Amino acid sequence: MFGRLKQMLIKELIQVVRDKRTRFILIGPPVIQMLVFGYAATFEIHNVSTVMVDMDHSQESRELISRFTSSPYFNVQAQLNDANQAHNLIDQGKTTLALEIDAGFAQKLRKGETAPLQVIVDATNSNTALIASSYVSQIALGYAQQAQQQRIYSIAPQLIDQIPSVQLEQRPWYNPDLRSRWFFVPGVIGSLTTLLVITLTSFAVVREREIGTLEQIMVTPIRPVEFIVGKTLPFFLIGLFDALLIGIVGTFWFQIPFRGHIPVLLTGLVLFLICMLGMALLISTVSATQQQAMVTAFFVIMPTITFSGFGFPIRAMPHWMQLASYAIPLRYFLVVLRGTYLKGVGFDILWPQMAAMAGIGLFGMTVAILRFHKALD
Amino acid sequence: MSLTRLLAVARKEVLQIIRDTRSLAIVVVMPVTLMLLFGYGVNLDLKELPVYVCDQDGSQQSQDLLKRFQSTKYFEIVRVVDNVPAIEHALDSGEAKMGIVIPWNFSQRLSQGGSVQVQAIVDATDDNTANVLMGYAQGVVQGYSTGIQVAWLQAHGLTLQPVPINVATRTWYNEDLESSAFIIPGVLALVMSVIGAFLTSLTIAREWERGSMEQLISTPVTAMEIMLGKLAPYFVLGMIDVAVCAVLAIAWFHVPFRGSYMTLAFSSALFLVTVLSLGFFISVVAKSQLAASQIALIITFLPAFLLSGFLFSIEQMPVVLQGITYLFPARYYVTLLKKIFLKGTPAAMLTADLLPLAGFTVVLALVATRSFHKRLE
Amino acid sequence: MPEPANSVVIENLVKRFGDFVAVDHLNLAVGKGEVFGFLGPNGAGKSTTIRMLCGLIRPTSGRAQVAGFDVGRNPESVRQNIGYMSQKFSLYNDLKVIENLRLFAGLYSVPSAKLKDRIEWAIEMANLKGQENLITGTLPGGWKQRLALGCAVLHQPPILFLDEPTSGVDPISRREFWDLIQHMAEAGVTVFVTTHYMEEAEYCNRLALIFRGKMVALGTPGELKRDSMKGELLLIECDPLGTAVEALQSAPGVMDAAVFGNALHLVVQDAAAAEPRIKEFLHNHNVSISRIEKIRPTLEDVFVSLTTTRGPAQESKP
Repeated sequence: MFGRLKQMLIKELIQVVRDKRTRFILIGPPVIQMLVFGYAATFEIHNVSTVMVDMDHSQESRELISRFTSSPYFNVQAQLNDANQAHNLIDQGKTTLALEIDAGFAQKLRKGETAPLQVIVDATNSNTALIASSYVSQIALGYAQQAQQQRIYSIAPQLIDQIPSVQLEQRPWYNPDLRSRWFFVPGVIGSLTTLLVITLTSFAVVREREIGTLEQIMVTPIRPVEFIVGKTLPFFLIGLFDALLIGIVGTFWFQIPFRGHIPVLLTGLVLFLICMLGMALLISTVSATQQQAMVTAFFVIMPTITFSGFGFPIRAMPHWMQLASYAIPLRYFLVVLRGTYLKGVGFDILWPQMAAMAGIGLFGMTVAILRFHKALD
Repeated sequence: MSLTRLLAVARKEVLQIIRDTRSLAIVVVMPVTLMLLFGYGVNLDLKELPVYVCDQDGSQQSQDLLKRFQSTKYFEIVRVVDNVPAIEHALDSGEAKMGIVIPWNFSQRLSQGGSVQVQAIVDATDDNTANVLMGYAQGVVQGYSTGIQVAWLQAHGLTLQPVPINVATRTWYNEDLESSAFIIPGVLALVMSVIGAFLTSLTIAREWERGSMEQLISTPVTAMEIMLGKLAPYFVLGMIDVAVCAVLAIAWFHVPFRGSYMTLAFSSALFLVTVLSLGFFISVVAKSQLAASQIALIITFLPAFLLSGFLFSIEQMPVVLQGITYLFPARYYVTLLKKIFLKGTPAAMLTADLLPLAGFTVVLALVATRSFHKRLE
Repeated sequence: MPEPANSVVIENLVKRFGDFVAVDHLNLAVGKGEVFGFLGPNGAGKSTTIRMLCGLIRPTSGRAQVAGFDVGRNPESVRQNIGYMSQKFSLYNDLKVIENLRLFAGLYSVPSAKLKDRIEWAIEMANLKGQENLITGTLPGGWKQRLALGCAVLHQPPILFLDEPTSGVDPISRREFWDLIQHMAEAGVTVFVTTHYMEEAEYCNRLALIFRGKMVALGTPGELKRDSMKGELLLIECDPLGTAVEALQSAPGVMDAAVFGNALHLVVQDAAAAEPRIKEFLHNHNVSISRIEKIRPTLEDVFVSLTTTRGPAQESKP
């Protein structure tokens, strides 16, 4: 039996490498995804285009403005005298933020009254808007506290040391510099494996059906299970290879730390691959042509990646979507990926995910094999 | 140009679309599916994130602070523990996204005067969530701190405005900061890419593969009539889908629509013609349906998804990638969509985006027309 | 402009694909109303020629005129005046019968006044009355071919090009198909047909035999059988056949020896003189002969003799 298996494996690998299209799938998507998710996909903000409107022209207003010009989050493009000008710039999309300091700002501060700071944010990109306004508040309040201190100092210097205050010490864990890349790139191992294994495997199986070689092979003494293993094993290996490749690029090129244990990651990877192979087989049983397989795969892969927590937190999704995500193997694999890369946790924490993938994988494969049996008879 | 012949080709194309379930599914089901997927799934609005608390002080003041956290919709205090390692473990396992540590001398320091620090340990694997969380936490702590200071100052005979600077933020165009408003208009670009390029890329290649092309070009029908006859049904279907998606966006997802329907229709028509031309060209060049559809997906759908500003803001990408985005028509279309929906920008002010898009339309249409010859070689 | 006497005129037509010469200096003319057959094995250049005549491929050199129009310079005018059936069945399998008909009626701009009649005629001709709403892909092979023929002549073209129209069709349907062709020819349509079935070649008014891009013979079936055969034909029934054939191929005076069914066909210079010699030769090889006589060559014999050479390196028969 192993002899036959070896033959099938070799044939399959030759076909994949020889066919220009599958060769492209092996190289194109990995490169593209790495580039995009390593560089383009980011939730970080920096150099948000900003204009300041200073109608007070006091030392205090200039001081406040300088805090914004020196901040890496904002790129102050202009300092204007007219609020309407700023509004127009936002309307035209030439700037994202406009900060207005009205006349009388410094006076109010010195008197101990509340001085207003008007912020207009172009929220067409609500994510940037949210984070940007949060930073604005932080900078403004930082300045306010300093102003407050000065005020107290000028009135009752002896109290300065006694004023209570509560500060928040922010400790971001696992990703202290808050790099989006650290979030996405480990995830790319999952999304890419999904893409590769599902498309390549389902194509390979369906191609045989299309050409008619399927019947040819079935006439030989090969058993259906052998056939399935022979068909899927090459893509299992390819999936493994590509995952490791991305892992290496991620660690050495993108400098993403790997704090966990490789056996844990490998176990997760293997279980996940089995789930994906099962899915691919299922797709191939409902597709008569490679074309159909392509469309079906597309419709399966898209929601899978969207619902899995790859780019967007599952917690923020509606309840019914969160429930649906429990059926998606990628969801669990992403936890394993981020767990081993960034958190450095092991089986003791990740066993629920492993169990879930094992369960889904087993179920999926069984259904696929049963359907396959029926389809071949 | 014979209208009879053109219509004959168009009618055949329509019949073929209707007869092919998967094409039909793409035209009918896919737009709605994509809208629902992205409308609900891609959500960056976070709430009720699980928080562990380690209150080493247990005083009235620390309780007050914790109450403030609990009363916001962003945090949900799930467990109170008595040691920091328990928090670390909760972060590792994902049971908590944030841990708050209040030091044992919290109330003591406050009554003595001086500052005291509260720690927020945040799971930063997802930097976006972490940013938002830390921003909210900062807000809560500052509010609490200010309250304490005001009370203290008053007790010492000073009245000071609690908040020296009042940051009044107005979010323009997207008042509720709903991520769906920012994402949904862009879904139209995805839908157009799939229908316009993906489906169209199959038409010519399919005729070659099945052999019907030879018969077709042996008749008097001209290359132009074939091209227009084939693309016309997809244009009509595409525009219908634009309408369906727009209705869904406005009526179901309550995305504000402040612009003009004419401008929306015009921009969509331009983009549609662009992707149709591209799809047609790919179909002529690629020869096989499989290759054509893959190329179409990679050249139109992926850029529309990742590099058009649909999901990830272009301004935040590295400069090189920002430059690359100018090469994709989807970038201009997505910008137009957002401006038309959310900002209500009148057509006259949209020239900076309309002109490049129109340029692409013209160039690609010309390329497509010239690419197809009624020849067998 | 006055109708030309010849529907199709081919002058020194050449088509090269890289180094490979598919059509090698072809010269012939087909008259109006002729059923003209293009006979040859696969790869001989038949389809390439037809496609050039339909304007689907550009000639490398030489000229051809169809219905008075130059195929290189005026392919569109050519297409208005011809009907074409390509080798692979190429109607739309996912369309209904009636939809395919309407499509081609539209593509040929059949005037609406005639539309209904022409479509009805095509349905009758293809024997598909009552089946108009069937999906084309579900029809049996023979009916599909007739439908394809119908679609090709909806606009009543003066010239019809058929590229292996009956390949893969059962013999009875083939016979019926040729009846149709002859019917049309009688009505004045010029039919240019390629085939590799020798028995169909007999139905043609004239034939051109093509081999490796060159025309090796031209004439009516009768002329070809009479004049083109090199040598004379002996039919031999004997046993064992295999030994006999092998031995005879290297026998003196034998130009060619091949198995035809249960017997041998032997090509010799002079049948009468050769007969006794062959008898003796076979006797010496322990072959018993039950029948030996001179026969008239079939088209296949003619073709084989024109396209093969004697010796171990024999071309396989079409």
